[in-house]
Amino acid sequence: MIRYIARRLVASIPVLFGVIALVFVLARVIPGDPCRSALGERATDEICAAFSARYGLDQPIPIQFLGYLGQVLTGDLGESIQRSRPVTDILMERLPVTVELTLFALLFATVGGILLGLVAAYRRNSPGDVGVMIGANFGVSIPVFVLGLILAYIFAVVLKDTPLALPPSGRLTPGLSVVPIAIAWGMPDLAGPLRAFLDFLSNMYVVNGLLTLNGALLGDALRHLLLPAIALGTISLALIARITRSSLLDVLGLDFVRTARAKGVAERSVLLRHGLRNALLPIATVVGLTLGGLLSGAVLTESIFNLSGVGRAVYEAITGRDYIVIQGFTLVIALVYIFVNLLVDISYAFLDPRVRLG
Amino acid sequence: MSSTAPPATLPTVAEADADEGHAYGLWRDTLRNILRQRSARLGLLLIGFFVVVAFLAPVLATFDPDKGMLDLGEIGAVKRAPPCIHLLGCPADVPQHLLGLDGNFRDVFSRIVYGARVSLFIGVVTVGVAILIGTLIGLVAGYTSGRTDNVLMRLMDILLGFPSLILAIAIVTVLGRSLVNAQLAIAIVAIPLYARVMRSTVLSVREQDFVVATRALGESPSGILFRRILPNSLTPIVVAGTLGVAGAILDVAALSFLGVGAQPPLAEWGSMIGLERNQLFSAPHLVLAPGIAIVITVLGFNLLGDGIRDALDPRLNR
Repeated sequence: MIRYIARRLVASIPVLFGVIALVFVLARVIPGDPCRSALGERATDEICAAFSARYGLDQPIPIQFLGYLGQVLTGDLGESIQRSRPVTDILMERLPVTVELTLFALLFATVGGILLGLVAAYRRNSPGDVGVMIGANFGVSIPVFVLGLILAYIFAVVLKDTPLALPPSGRLTPGLSVVPIAIAWGMPDLAGPLRAFLDFLSNMYVVNGLLTLNGALLGDALRHLLLPAIALGTISLALIARITRSSLLDVLGLDFVRTARAKGVAERSVLLRHGLRNALLPIATVVGLTLGGLLSGAVLTESIFNLSGVGRAVYEAITGRDYIVIQGFTLVIALVYIFVNLLVDISYAFLDPRVRLG
Repeated sequence: MSSTAPPATLPTVAEADADEGHAYGLWRDTLRNILRQRSARLGLLLIGFFVVVAFLAPVLATFDPDKGMLDLGEIGAVKRAPPCIHLLGCPADVPQHLLGLDGNFRDVFSRIVYGARVSLFIGVVTVGVAILIGTLIGLVAGYTSGRTDNVLMRLMDILLGFPSLILAIAIVTVLGRSLVNAQLAIAIVAIPLYARVMRSTVLSVREQDFVVATRALGESPSGILFRRILPNSLTPIVVAGTLGVAGAILDVAALSFLGVGAQPPLAEWGSMIGLERNQLFSAPHLVLAPGIAIVITVLGFNLLGDGIRDALDPRLNR
């Protein structure tokens, strides 16, 4: 097992290198002058020369690349041109938002999708099954941004003044303050990696609310997270429901299921322990595959619901030609993505002992 | 070598089977199998509907899609007016606009109708480009194996290392904001999918007896590749491509929604939504109408793709 993981890690090094190179090249060939987009159109040539020297933009491209590579390997992602702040700082601020959103969308999609798929497979060809499958077809066909806007309209306008009303934008009701976990736990002097980790968690407001037992924060954060998570997770939910249904139908048609039924195993147990347990492998594959889609969809969801996450940061950086931020963020997103795919592969071994990691 | 060259077109295995069974040809047989699928019929119906709309756009559209009512001389036009249909009880003194007006006094119905042309074109052309390049890469990688295969597939892995929309946004920023560049970006991002599908199919097809036989007959490698392996590896690509059209329409619409795809005044559904998204609460029809149009078109291609897969994939025939 450990050997397999190690081999996979080694095998992903060339891909990582390629990703870094591609990001670097893309960020360099984006048209437009970074100096003038950061300092304004009226910046003089002397100021721009100093600007280029400061950010190393006057060096030859290969030298810039080697320098960049060295930085990345030491965990330094450079300093934002537009904001004059280290990219890692901005990342620590933005990444928790996206991680929280993506995790909730994934939770919604996985739990909801497996449940719907179970019902559809168990009551095959019933009105419920047909309904789930029609819904799933619509679910994979509706763009994230259309669903997000429609949900915002329904829950913020149509259902306004009812208990079901939900906020259409932002992460918290204005006025609600967020206390970093470290401070709430009475450790304001804590520093180092642990503090950084706690601060990262603090920026996930739901987690913060849970860990600091702050009910008001937790409730408000959840209410704000609900619509974006549903909008983002629906496509994945539909895909997972479909694969759960078909995978379960495959398994339920096998001999050992008939044997289980014949010897009088309770139907519930047949469905869950014999059926679902053995149908999980294709489901895990689809769950892993949808993660890329979720990260893509996060750009759109964050834009619609006004969430200052990574996706929106990348978009803003690209429109503002902030090379350093584009490089850093795209790189980290790709890293997360590759790492998650590795986790999915490894999870196969746990789900199905027949899969030999070779 | 003997002078008797092998016949130019040997029947493929599938063709031979089909000919023996009954009098229908391969194509007709396949088509019948596909049409037997309910989802394929429904999908074709939806796509057909939009194809007709796209062709008849000048006839169906009630107004010029790119011109505002003020330019067209309509008096009393209201900015972002809600839909007004006289048959459904809208007062006769209000000018009729089936889906209302947008922020530039343009008729939304006419824009949706013309948008069908744009979206169908986007979907088919984008996937066409991606399939062309992806198939070629997959074909070469699968057939040559060894180092070429390794290099090509690692390149594909790098493209797959990014969430697709983020890479597409980056590419479109480099190329410049326009519909064509958005299509190109989505096509580039989709290439690895087709390359992988093609490669895995080629890996299994190239070991089959008829390929070995062709090689024994002295066919050139490119002949084997394009006349023997390619035609027999197309099924998975057709399935992936049909579903890919749905994805391409969604992705290009998303780029246009973000403002880096189709540029105004072009009547593209995604950019129509993007332009009016801030008016959602006061004029929801401006988001709903193009939104529904996207959903139905994408649904059509998804259903057709599912139907073709069910019809063509023998493993699923139960």
